[in-house]
Amino acid sequence: MTEHVEAKSATLADELLGVVQAVEGVSAVYPAQPLWQSVAGAAVAAVTGEQLPLINLTEQDGTLAIKARIGVGSPLPAPKVAREAAAAIRRHLGNVPAVVEVLVAKIEA
Amino acid sequence: MKTPGDALECGHSFAELSAYLDTGEIADPAHLDSCPECQAGLASLRRLSELGNELLTADVAEAGSGGDDWMQTILDNLRLELRPGRSIPLRAEDPQDTLWETEGSVSALIRSVADSFPGTAAGKCRLLGDITEPGAGITVDVEIAVVYGHAMEERAAALRNELAKMLQVQTELDIQAINITVTDVLELPAPAMTPNTEDQP
Repeated sequence: MTEHVEAKSATLADELLGVVQAVEGVSAVYPAQPLWQSVAGAAVAAVTGEQLPLINLTEQDGTLAIKARIGVGSPLPAPKVAREAAAAIRRHLGNVPAVVEVLVAKIEA
Repeated sequence: MKTPGDALECGHSFAELSAYLDTGEIADPAHLDSCPECQAGLASLRRLSELGNELLTADVAEAGSGGDDWMQTILDNLRLELRPGRSIPLRAEDPQDTLWETEGSVSALIRSVADSFPGTAAGKCRLLGDITEPGAGITVDVEIAVVYGHAMEERAAALRNELAKMLQVQTELDIQAINITVTDVLELPAPAMTPNTEDQP
């Protein structure tokens, strides 16, 4: 991946983070790929102090794969919030081919 | 105290979380903002601590080291249930989307509802059945400890109703049964005897 593509990907991840955080009922966005599951990521973070993007983006054969891990903290049903988060990501991407994965890791009563 | 199996998936132990509650110190405090398992663990430990205060017994750290059997049992279950566990599928509007809830998030929710009842602490919380299969029948098993003086049958019925409502809203599981078992009745310590000198000659 070139620096240009990496920068574009990081920008899109930041944009999507804002999109997901703005969804009603989303109380937190957690690292999609926890650092302790990513040796490379943990090493980079340890050396640079930089955090990996909270929204995970990968691309394969022209299709974007987006993964978000969220906490839900409202009276709204968690399944509905997860669907709305996925829909918000799709609205932001427009016609870009994508597969979206949303994982609810915390539900606050 | 750090024992085998004490660590959560992120590597932190219950002893570290308990020490954090006591002292506010932990090696990487920023981690707590990004780890739902640690957050759920801290919330459960805070509620346990509140119940411990109600009982005027030893603090959570001491109980965690094996002082009180009932609290030790609860802590043992917490260690297991705070892990993300299985992934529970949710219906998606777009066929290209995959949506999940973690088993740990639902267990923590069940625990928080049970703990919210006065004088009650959740022990084991289990989702029995194939939660990874949409529509599969699921049984919820919850064990609770209740402070002496609370009506157990009423408490169990109220908790069952509350859990049924909450699980219907917050999950898409097909709950067939919710079993509540009171495994411990916790006695408040007797008040200390103080001599009444006024009546003495």
